[in-house]
Amino acid sequence: MTTIRSTARGRRLGPAFSWFGVVGGAVAWSVHLIAAWAVDELTCGAGRATVAGVPLVAVMWVAVIVPALVTAAALAVSALVWRRESAAARQRADRGYGRTGMLGLVGLGANALFLSIIVAGGAAVLVLPVCQP
Amino acid sequence: MTGKLFTESTAPEALAAEPAPRSTGWWGMVGFVTTEAALFAVLLGTFFYLRFQHGEPWPPREIERPQLTVPLIMTAVLLPSSLPVVWAERGIRRGQRWRLRLGLAATIVMGLTFLSLQVMEYQTKLREFTFTTDVFGSLFYAITGFHGLHVAVGLLILSWVLAASLRGSFSSHKHERVSLAAIYWHFVDLVWVAILFTVYLSQHL
Amino acid sequence: MTTTSAQAVPRAVAVARLEEQWREQRSLRSWFATVDHKRIGRRYLVTAGAFFGLAGIDALLLRTQLARAGGDVLSPDQYNQLFTMHGTAMIFLFATPMLFGFGNALVPLMLGARDMAFPRLNAFGYWVFLFAGLIMFSSQFLGVAPNGGWFAYVPLTDLPYSLGRNLDVYTLGLIFLGVSTTAGAINFIVTSIKLRAPGMSLNRAPLFVWAIVATSFMVLFALPALNAANALLFLDRRFGTHFFQPDAGGNTLLWQHLFWIFGHPDVYIIVLPALGIVSAILPAFCRRGVAAYPLVVLATITIAIISFGVWVHHMFATGLPSLSLSFFSAASVLITIPSGIQVFAWVATMLFGRIVVRVPLLFVVGFIVTFVMGGVTGVMFGITAFDMQITDSYFVVAHFHYVLFGGAVFPIIGGLYYWLPVLTGKMASEVLGRWAFGLVFGGFHLTFFPMHLSGLLGMPRRVYTYPTGLGWDPWNLLSTIGSYVLAVGLLLVVLSVVLAVARGPRAAVDPWGGDTLEWAATTPPRPYNFASIPQVFGLHPAWDRRTLSRLETDEVLPGHQALLTSELDARPQRLVSMPEASLRPLLAALALLVVVLGLLWAVYWLAIAGVVATIVVVVGWLWPPQLTRAEAEAA
Ligand code: HEM
Repeated sequence: MTTIRSTARGRRLGPAFSWFGVVGGAVAWSVHLIAAWAVDELTCGAGRATVAGVPLVAVMWVAVIVPALVTAAALAVSALVWRRESAAARQRADRGYGRTGMLGLVGLGANALFLSIIVAGGAAVLVLPVCQP
Repeated sequence: MTGKLFTESTAPEALAAEPAPRSTGWWGMVGFVTTEAALFAVLLGTFFYLRFQHGEPWPPREIERPQLTVPLIMTAVLLPSSLPVVWAERGIRRGQRWRLRLGLAATIVMGLTFLSLQVMEYQTKLREFTFTTDVFGSLFYAITGFHGLHVAVGLLILSWVLAASLRGSFSSHKHERVSLAAIYWHFVDLVWVAILFTVYLSQHL
Repeated sequence: MTTTSAQAVPRAVAVARLEEQWREQRSLRSWFATVDHKRIGRRYLVTAGAFFGLAGIDALLLRTQLARAGGDVLSPDQYNQLFTMHGTAMIFLFATPMLFGFGNALVPLMLGARDMAFPRLNAFGYWVFLFAGLIMFSSQFLGVAPNGGWFAYVPLTDLPYSLGRNLDVYTLGLIFLGVSTTAGAINFIVTSIKLRAPGMSLNRAPLFVWAIVATSFMVLFALPALNAANALLFLDRRFGTHFFQPDAGGNTLLWQHLFWIFGHPDVYIIVLPALGIVSAILPAFCRRGVAAYPLVVLATITIAIISFGVWVHHMFATGLPSLSLSFFSAASVLITIPSGIQVFAWVATMLFGRIVVRVPLLFVVGFIVTFVMGGVTGVMFGITAFDMQITDSYFVVAHFHYVLFGGAVFPIIGGLYYWLPVLTGKMASEVLGRWAFGLVFGGFHLTFFPMHLSGLLGMPRRVYTYPTGLGWDPWNLLSTIGSYVLAVGLLLVVLSVVLAVARGPRAAVDPWGGDTLEWAATTPPRPYNFASIPQVFGLHPAWDRRTLSRLETDEVLPGHQALLTSELDARPQRLVSMPEASLRPLLAALALLVVVLGLLWAVYWLAIAGVVATIVVVVGWLWPPQLTRAEAEAA
C-alpha cells in the first residue's frame, strides 16, 4: 500500500473524521430515540394519527431510517480509520495499535451496537400499530 | 476535488492529528456550561411535555397568549451583547487593556438593559397572571426567572472581571478568566433564543 | 521542562525541598483547609461509610419489624420514613460519594498527577456532601425524614397529600448534594483529560479512570433532570405552582419521566465505577492485564450512553403507546451486550492468568456471582408480561439489591482491602478479611434470596407488616436472620480496617504487585505523589521497567507545580502551579448551607444572607492574582 501524504488541510479535517467515527452512531441514536418517542407519544396522546398532514407511520419511518443511515456512515468511517491505522501500525516498530486505532475499534463496536438498536426499533415500526397501548 | 480532500484527511497522520490543547479552566467551564445546558433542555422539554399532554386550550385558563414586542426588544439587546466581549477578549490578547475595559462595560450595560426590560415585562405580566394562576404561569415565571438569574450571575461575573481589569490583573498572556467569563456569557445569551422560541414564539404557531 | 537551576541540585536535596513545600502542619486549620486529594478522598470514604452504617441500621430495623407476621416494632409512619431514608441514603449519600471517594484518592495517583485539576473545588465538594448528608440524616432524628419512597412519586409527595417538612428535606437536600456531585464530576473529567502523565495516551488510560470519567459524563447529563424535578416539586409545595397538579394543567407523569431520566442512568452511575474497581483489582491477582482492553473501554462508554435510553422502561405499567415503549425496550435488551462483554473479559482474565487468592479477589468473585444473578432476574423484567406480574413486589427488592449490593458494595469492600496500603500505609489482616467475606457473602444471599420467593408468592414491597398464613413467614424470618449475619460480616470489615490502622503491619511498597501508577509511588504516597513526573510507555506502567527506573532518575519537578499534557496523546504542554490549602472551600460550603437551611425553614432573609455570603466568598476565592512585575511590564 502506498503511503498517503497528509497535508495541513487534511490534518485539520482528519480529527473530525475520527470523531465522527467514534460518536456518530451515539448521536444518531439519541436523536432517533427522542424524536421517535416524543412524536409517537405526543401525537397519539393528542388523539391524532398524522403530523402536519403526514401519516404518523411515515414520520416513524423517517425517524428510523435517517439515523440508521448516519450510523451506517459512521460505521464505515470507523472501519476505514481502523484499516488505515492497522496498516500504519504494521510499519511501526512496536506494532501495537495507537490511540487512533483504539478509537477506531471502539467506534466500530459502538456503531454496530447503535445500528442494531435502531434496526430493532425499525422492526417494531413494522409490526406494531402506531398508537395501540 | 472532494476525493482528494477525503484522501488527505483520512491519511493516518491526519486522522491522528490532535487539535491545539486547552487549559484546565477552559475544560472546567465547558463542562459546567454543558450540564447547565442539560438543565435548560430539561426545563424546556418540560414545557413542551406539559403543553402537548394538556392539549387545547393552551394556556389552560384565562391567560392570553403573550405579546411579543417587549421580548423581541429584549432579544435585540441581549443577542448582540456577546460581540463586545469577543472584541474585549481579542483586545487583551494583544495587550490592549482599554479594549478589555470598554468591551466589558458595553456588555454589562446591555445586560443591565435586558434585566430592566425583564422587570418591566414582569410588571405588566403580573397584573395579568402569576405563577399560581395555572401551569402556564408556573412555567413562564420559572423558566424566564431562572434565565434572568443566570443573566444576573453573568453580570456579576463580568463586573468582577471588569473590576479585576481596572486593577490591572490581566495581560496579553494572563487573561484566562476573561475567556472563561466570555464562555459563560455566550451561553446565557444563546439559551435566551431557545427560551424566546419556547415561551413566546411557539405560543403563536 | 524544569528550570536549569534545579538540574544542579542533587536529587536528595530536591526531594527534601519538595517535602518542605508540600508538608501540611498537623493543626486544626490545616485539617479544615487541606486540599490534598488523598486526605479528601479518605474523608469521602469515611463519611460515606458512616452514612452506609446509618442507612444499614435503618435496614436492620425494617428487617426486625418484618421478622414475623404482625410485628409491632415500628409504626407505619416510622416504617415509611425508614425505608425512604434507607433507599435515599444508600443511593445518594453512600454509593456515589463512596465511589467518588475512591476516585478522589486514586485517579490523580493512577494518572501520575500531583493532585486533582481543581483541588479547592474538590475540598468544596466534600464539605457540601457532608452538610447535605447531615441535613438529611438529622431530619430522621427529628422525625421529619422524607417518607414518600426513594423515588418520591407525585401526587403522594405533593400538596395536599404530604404536609410537613419531610419532602422539603428530600428536594432541597438532594439539590444541595447535587452541587457536590456535579463539582466532583467536572473535576474528574478535567483531571483525566489534562493531567495524565506524559505518554499516557487515551489507549493507555487505566480502566478505572475510564469508568470514573464515563460516570462523570453521565452525572453531567443525568443530574439536571433530578435537580429540575426536585426544584419544580419544591416550588409546587412551597410557592403554589402547578407543575404536577392536573386540575391546573400540570401532569403527574412528568415526575416519573424526569425522575427516571435521571434514575436509570443513576443505576449505572453507581455500578460503572464499581466495575472499574473490579478491572483495577483483577490484574494484581491474575498476574496479567484485563483481557480485551479496547472492548472493556467500548463497553464502559456504550453502557454510559445507552443507559439514558431505557428510562421509559420503568413505566411499562402506565399505558403509553407500545410502539413508543418498544424503542426503549430495544435499548434495554441490547444494553446487556456491553455488560456481558465486561463479564466475559473478567472471566477470560482469570482463566488466562495465574490466580493468587487474597481477600480483594474473593470480593471480586463474590461480586461476579451476585451481579450475574441480578442480571438474570433483570432480563426477566424485560419480558413485559412478567414485569406486570411482579412490579412492586419483593421480587423487585431482591433484584435491585443483587444489582446494587452485588454490583457496588462487593467491589467497594474489595477495593477497600486492595487500596488500604495506598490509603493508610497499612495492611489488613488476611484471616479477618476472609471471615468477613464469608459472612458478608453468606449473609447477603441469605437476606436477599428469600425475597425472590416471597415476591413470587405475592408479597408487596413497602408494607410495614403482613398477616400470617400466606406462606411468607418462613422466607421473611430467613431474610431477617440473614440481615443480622450480614451486619456481623460488615462489622468485621470495619473492625479489620480499624485494627489495621491502629496496629496493623506497615505495608511493603507495592504489596500486591499492581499494574497502575498508584503502586509506583511510595506506599502510602507522599503529599506530592511523585517527585519526578512518571513517563508512561504502555498499559501497565507499574510493571514497566522503563517507567520505574525513570521515576528514580528523572529530574524532580520542584515546587507546587503540576504538568499539563495534551488531551488525546498526553504530550507535555506546560507547567502550572497548584493552589495551596485554603479555608475558602469550607466557607463557601457553609454559606450554601445557610441558603439551604433558610429555604428549608422558610426563613427567606436567612437564605438571602446565605446567597450574599456565598457571593462574597466566591469572589475572593477566584480573584485573579496580581501580575508579577515582569508580567506587568511585558503587557
Ligand atoms: C446493608 C444491607 C441491606 C439491607 C438489610 C437492606 C434491606 C432492605 C429492605 C428490607 C428494603 C425494603 C423495604 C420495603 O420495601 O419495605 C430495602 C429497600 C431498599 N434498599 Fe436496601 N438493604 C441493604 C443495603 C442496600 C444497599 C447497599 C442499597 C443501595 C446501594 C440499598 C438500596 C435500597 C433501595 C433503593 C430500597 C428501596 C427503598 C424504597 O422502597 O423507597 N439497600 N432494603
